[in-house]
Amino acid sequence: MAGIANKMASNQKQIAISEFFEKNKHFLGFDSLPRSIITAVKEAVDNSLDACEEARILPDIIIKISKIDTKKDILELVSEDNGPGIPQKSIEKVFGQLLFGSRFHAIRQSRGQQGIGITGVVMYSQLTTGKPTHVLSKIASEPTAISVKIGLDTRKNKAVKSEQDRIIWENEDLSLKEHGVRVTTRMKAKYQRGRQSVFQYLRMTSIVNPHAEITFIDPDGERFHWPRVTERLPRKVDAIKPHPHGIELGQLQRMCRESKDSRLTVFLRQNFSGVSMRAAKELCEASELAISMKPKSMKPDDVRALLEAFQGERMVNKKPIKLLSPPTNCLSPIEEMLIKKGLSKTIDSKFIATMTRAPTVSHGNPFQVEVGLIFGEGMAADKHVEILRFANRVPLMYQQGGCLLTKAIESVDWRQYGLEQAGGKGVPKGPAAILVHLASTNVQFTSEAKEALSDNEFVFEETRKAMLEMGRGLRKHLEKKKKMAKTREKFELINDILPAIAEKSASILERPVPDLAGSITKIMSAVICNETTAWNKETKQTDVSITLFNYTSRSRSYSLLVNWPEKAGAEMVGNERGGRKEAMGIWGWKIETLEPGEKAVLEYSLSNLEKGDWTETEVFFRGSQDVIGATKLDEKMLDEIRNQEKILEQTEGSDDSENDVTNSYEPGVVEGDSGQTTLFGGEN
Amino acid sequence: MARVNDPELTKARLHLVVEEMYDRIVKGEPPTMTLPVRTKNNIGFDKKLGVYKYGKKRSTRDATSLGSAKNLLRALHVVEFIEEMIEAGKSSTLREMYYISEGWGLGKFGSQNESNNLAEDLEVVTSCLREDFKLRPEEDGARMIGNITVNELNRRGQWMTINARDDVGDSGYGVPYNVESEKIELKEHDVNFLMAIETGGMFDRLIENGFDEDYNCGLIHLKGQPARSTRRIIKRMNEEWDLPVVVFLDGDPWSFRIFASIAYGAIKTAHISEYLATPSATYLGITADDILAYDLPADDLSKKDIEALNAELSDPRFADGWWQDQINMMLEVGKKAEQQSLAKYGLDFVTDTYLPEKLGELGLS
Repeated sequence: MAGIANKMASNQKQIAISEFFEKNKHFLGFDSLPRSIITAVKEAVDNSLDACEEARILPDIIIKISKIDTKKDILELVSEDNGPGIPQKSIEKVFGQLLFGSRFHAIRQSRGQQGIGITGVVMYSQLTTGKPTHVLSKIASEPTAISVKIGLDTRKNKAVKSEQDRIIWENEDLSLKEHGVRVTTRMKAKYQRGRQSVFQYLRMTSIVNPHAEITFIDPDGERFHWPRVTERLPRKVDAIKPHPHGIELGQLQRMCRESKDSRLTVFLRQNFSGVSMRAAKELCEASELAISMKPKSMKPDDVRALLEAFQGERMVNKKPIKLLSPPTNCLSPIEEMLIKKGLSKTIDSKFIATMTRAPTVSHGNPFQVEVGLIFGEGMAADKHVEILRFANRVPLMYQQGGCLLTKAIESVDWRQYGLEQAGGKGVPKGPAAILVHLASTNVQFTSEAKEALSDNEFVFEETRKAMLEMGRGLRKHLEKKKKMAKTREKFELINDILPAIAEKSASILERPVPDLAGSITKIMSAVICNETTAWNKETKQTDVSITLFNYTSRSRSYSLLVNWPEKAGAEMVGNERGGRKEAMGIWGWKIETLEPGEKAVLEYSLSNLEKGDWTETEVFFRGSQDVIGATKLDEKMLDEIRNQEKILEQTEGSDDSENDVTNSYEPGVVEGDSGQTTLFGGEN
Repeated sequence: MARVNDPELTKARLHLVVEEMYDRIVKGEPPTMTLPVRTKNNIGFDKKLGVYKYGKKRSTRDATSLGSAKNLLRALHVVEFIEEMIEAGKSSTLREMYYISEGWGLGKFGSQNESNNLAEDLEVVTSCLREDFKLRPEEDGARMIGNITVNELNRRGQWMTINARDDVGDSGYGVPYNVESEKIELKEHDVNFLMAIETGGMFDRLIENGFDEDYNCGLIHLKGQPARSTRRIIKRMNEEWDLPVVVFLDGDPWSFRIFASIAYGAIKTAHISEYLATPSATYLGITADDILAYDLPADDLSKKDIEALNAELSDPRFADGWWQDQINMMLEVGKKAEQQSLAKYGLDFVTDTYLPEKLGELGLS
């Protein structure tokens, strides 16, 4: 563990702008008293989550806020994690220097992209209370923890240490703390509740970090707890080299200046992603530079020419240079099932749809959009839906209206999907919450405050498409609910009311109770499918039961198909009727002919899932007569799904070959919707 | 139609309702209950009786939806309950029946309105009266003042003689829910006509001003939409004593409906119109032209008022020319006025000027 901690620390470089901070603290989230405490919590939690993720530790985070002086608005923040800890020699740097962070210089998806970080908190504390911040840090390889107070000399961009000591760090239960960091700091700030609060920030954080265990103790001593719902850590992401389409002049100049490469082609191939040998040569040709040129000796005009070749303005044979897409394994989406879990642990509800779009690229930057929609009785029906925005797993809490993600939500006409929306524009109303997560190596914000994403047509389109898909799912759910209610009524009619009518009328007339079969067929005059999907506590499986009733006066035969979470790794067990796989996640059975009044029952269980993972099974049918409670199968859709599977299999096989020419793309072109079709698909 | 007053016949007719359901099930069909349509589209003037009655349109309630199936089940419970009461010699109020239905499981009523409507449905289908069913209304009857003497059978089973002028206080004689001859005998009177009054305020004003004695009339307070017993006692006095009846109401679309229920028969009780309605009753005011002629303080018609007036234009009970004129005039003026707006000209204006003028037109003053 210490090895990792030491290595992480060595990656850090320093940039001296302490004074910049003091003058610009409003950019950095310390512009108002209520916001300052949120920012402080955010910096501490981001650090903890990032450190745990790199060290592959399941995070346990405790945040405690207390009021120290109500008159002067002084709060104390204690933030504790079980991360790898910070080695003694790095503590000063981590807490005492601005823009000190491994993240700033690497291109990958990370939480705090500009690395202002925890130093800002130390500085704000110093500026408003004059007091240093106390840091307790323990790494696994050392028996004791280091306890130190960190102040800041903002002119020299230097930490000022005091009262350094080594102590034994015990947990509440008197066991020894293995590793972790505890930060205790006081600052002028105001604790508030509501949409923009520490509580909301931590709640949102727990939704997108389902692997984290977060505890919060508010100033009134109330304890909130968001449990861990998965043992799976986010995928370890690789740093990638910049892609020529995403680079700016200044950055390119710096890269050339700092380059030790002897030839331009080597420089291009080794410092950029997506550049093959052929492309490197063509880039030199287009920018009229010698292949053997030393990057370090390039003049400003040369750099500019190269950039123009990057951007397709300089061409070879009147064609822009074809470049490969940057790899997308630098992204770490939360993934559908975990979004579902994260949402359902904080919001109690009936319907959840989630979707992780395939990764794609905009201006050389890989990005990926994920959305979730939760709908149900637990939420206010007459208010605007709650929008939960995230960029690289960090909640965005301010400037909702100006954010690209909000705009994408607002651009959808939600009325057709069962939500209220004045004029078909704006944030819809209804008992729902919408989650949007953008994972990207380069998140563009509207301002330094990093609260709203700036416009980007590709991200907008991806988000919008995902929203439409969510909407279709919601509409389907609502339609199904309505139908189910109707069906339930009919069943109550024939199972309860009709027998009661028969018995009562017979007893009043003192005659025998008549047989009901004929009346029932006439009343229902339909084929009805009843589905239940329920978690079985004892077997830890999800039990699915489907009953098909023939309440018509003719015999009927059908095939039934269901969707099931095959992709998420579920296994179908106890399926005694057999059937066959029709496509990925689609299972089908041929049902024997049902005579009037007969029924058929399908039963199976899904293992390898947890409670809440799978709550609703969609039933489709093949057959001529309509079935209430099931959807007629669209064979074209089924074919489409099968085709996509094939394509996916093929591309997975050739994933690692960067020289695959079919993988290239034009600047500004977003690749299509691979793997996104569902049985409900299609625009409306 | 009048009271059946024969428990066996009542039971036999209720059994017909039950048989309809039973036979349909035996035939393999959804059970049904067939009854006349109870809307304004199915009432027509009965020349013989001089009142409005249900026409031939019938609707079938069948058990193909949960709502109507529950309704059928409730009807069966009610039938059973009525039979039990007939056999035990008991009776209950409609409200009591509503609470008793708590024990009917799936057949329990969702609201008192449902139980009232079902009791009426059964009346309509069986041509019996709810008195035959041993069901009593909760509604309280009217108050009456004037030189009218009745014999009423009291709780101890003794007949007592009550004069509605000399034996009562300011609140008048309270009309009981049962005003049939077994309970009330119309003994004697010394009045020239009866005046039915919508609001309590106006009723009390006329009494304070001594109008009943000055004009030798009987005053009846309707309390809004009049109860069956109120309409029934007006009808009996009108028939048995040949007394003219004038009706003095607010000037708005709802008052028109109150008048129609007194004179022509109410839509909800059209099955017993000949038993409740007084065809010779006259609408005294407030009329639409009164609002203009007396320049009464008036309110604008609300959206609902206008809808009600438009519905009345196509109501067969308001088909005659005078009513069409009144309704159209009110729509045109766009105003409605309360009885008590007459106080604009002083407390005595109604008794000294307005009523004498209006009654004069009818030859009653």
